[in-house]
Amino acid sequence: MKVATLLERRQASWLELDRLSSQAVRRMDAPQAARLAELYRSACADLALADAYQLPPGTVQYLHQLVGRAHNQLYRSRRFDVAAWGRTLLHDVPARIRHDRCIQVVFVLFWTTFLGAAALAHRRAGWAEEILPPAMLQSLEENFKEPLRDRDPAVNYAMAAFYIRHNTGIGLRCFAWGLLIIPGVREVVFNALVLGAAFGYMARPDVPESANFFNFVTAHGPFELTAIVLAAGAGLRLGMGWVRTGGLTRAASLQRTAADTMPMMGAAMLMFLLAALIEGFLSPTALPYALKAGVAILSTAMLLFYILILGSPRRA
Amino acid sequence: MPAAGLPIDTTIEIVTPENITFHYQLAGPFRRLPAYVIDVCLQALLLVGVALLAAALAIGIGAASWAIWLLAQFLLSWFYGGLCEAYWNGQTPGKRLMGIRVLAANGRPVNAYQAVLRNILRVVDTGPLISAEVLGGPPVPLIPTFAIGLVAMACNRRFQRLGDLVTHTIVVVEDRPWLPGMAPIEDPRAVELAEYLPPDLRVSRSMARALSHYAERRRFLSPARRREIARHLAQPLLTRFDLPDNTSYDLLLCAMYHRLFIADHGDVAP
Repeated sequence: MKVATLLERRQASWLELDRLSSQAVRRMDAPQAARLAELYRSACADLALADAYQLPPGTVQYLHQLVGRAHNQLYRSRRFDVAAWGRTLLHDVPARIRHDRCIQVVFVLFWTTFLGAAALAHRRAGWAEEILPPAMLQSLEENFKEPLRDRDPAVNYAMAAFYIRHNTGIGLRCFAWGLLIIPGVREVVFNALVLGAAFGYMARPDVPESANFFNFVTAHGPFELTAIVLAAGAGLRLGMGWVRTGGLTRAASLQRTAADTMPMMGAAMLMFLLAALIEGFLSPTALPYALKAGVAILSTAMLLFYILILGSPRRA
Repeated sequence: MPAAGLPIDTTIEIVTPENITFHYQLAGPFRRLPAYVIDVCLQALLLVGVALLAAALAIGIGAASWAIWLLAQFLLSWFYGGLCEAYWNGQTPGKRLMGIRVLAANGRPVNAYQAVLRNILRVVDTGPLISAEVLGGPPVPLIPTFAIGLVAMACNRRFQRLGDLVTHTIVVVEDRPWLPGMAPIEDPRAVELAEYLPPDLRVSRSMARALSHYAERRRFLSPARRREIARHLAQPLLTRFDLPDNTSYDLLLCAMYHRLFIADHGDVAP
């Protein structure tokens, strides 16, 4: 058969396929969807035989694009598998956190930097002033000058949202930059340094706002600091995918680690969310300190249960 | 993975479940950047919309309406791309306008995990940030250079930025195709000359491909250029068919094209 005749015969069905691929499959009725699949298969067959038919190159390219478009209509993206999240979060993630060297390394790095900075800021007058920008110190003192008082509850919503945006943003940035290892580590050290210096400075006996400050930070501290360590640790794990390939190619090793680290980042984001809610609605209130300390102890216990008990090796 | 026989080109081969191999054209930085810019503009527009909404709500719920604005900012800046790509089959509005789509590197659709992670890692790809001081702004790192993403794209064959490498995704061009017809042979002398070709004319596949390439392209070429290009193929053919040496090379190739692809007799060797 001559190519011109063949094109004439097939053209109508190609154009129909082109038209159908512009519509969303979800909105089609059954005969239309079946027709799309049928036309797609016949276009596939035409493409497979293009060489034998001696189709002109322009037509072959047209067929490649046509088949590609229809392929993307038929094979669609998978949505979130929400049902699987519970199992992942309660079973896989704690086990991974407990045994992950990278998270342990970041944990040690974060806390030594934090405690070191706090000790220096506490002992040495003038050190915190060198590390922290003066505007930050000023606003710290400003914010905690007055004892904590109950405020307009509407402000609590706004502040909780602010903490979600700000702190989760820091966590996500720690995670993403962990991919290149060094910027990730820098981000961790920087955050630990700033936080540690602020804590140490506020704990100084000559700073009068000390009591108010610790009254504020106690309740949400455990979730927030753990979440930062977790996010940065997951990022470092991701970055180690480049380095320790376990016999795979670097790209394949990265892809495998990425699939493991993403749920850890999800857990970290949940912790950021909890911390932000506590920080927005409980920390700034005038409720007795014992209650806030109780929340801190309870959340620490929950974290320990999550990582140590849920994460302990068990039979499948 | 690029096989030995693949052309040096920005295409990749996909094998479908129907066991058909087809080609995709990969989208390079100059198609992806405009898509990203469109998306950023759209996000800004959405934020303006949310701000108006929050301002309107502020009358009713007071300072709590700030919460809506802050949450919208957080969600849009980190999850806009991921959610769009997960729910819109690998496209964001910007990508749809530019006719590109995210796919898993094996040609399958992306899943939600890949879509979200590649968009979180965009922070790294748009970096390192330059301080806004160079434009007279405050000393805050604000201006994206896209350097890391560009270097990553240059270092692999599939234009993958780091986010793509980690999630094993690619971005392909998905234009609405346009069906070219057969090349028209308007010169009646070509049809006439076709009669003088041997009746049992058979050509190889590569020859057929060369002929149709030539016939489709010749209308963009000047007569002198046509003659120059056609000579390589036409000269030996003239000798083989015992045609006069002064036959136009262009005309001969057109005649063969007409005979092999359009006219009703003669056949192509399998």
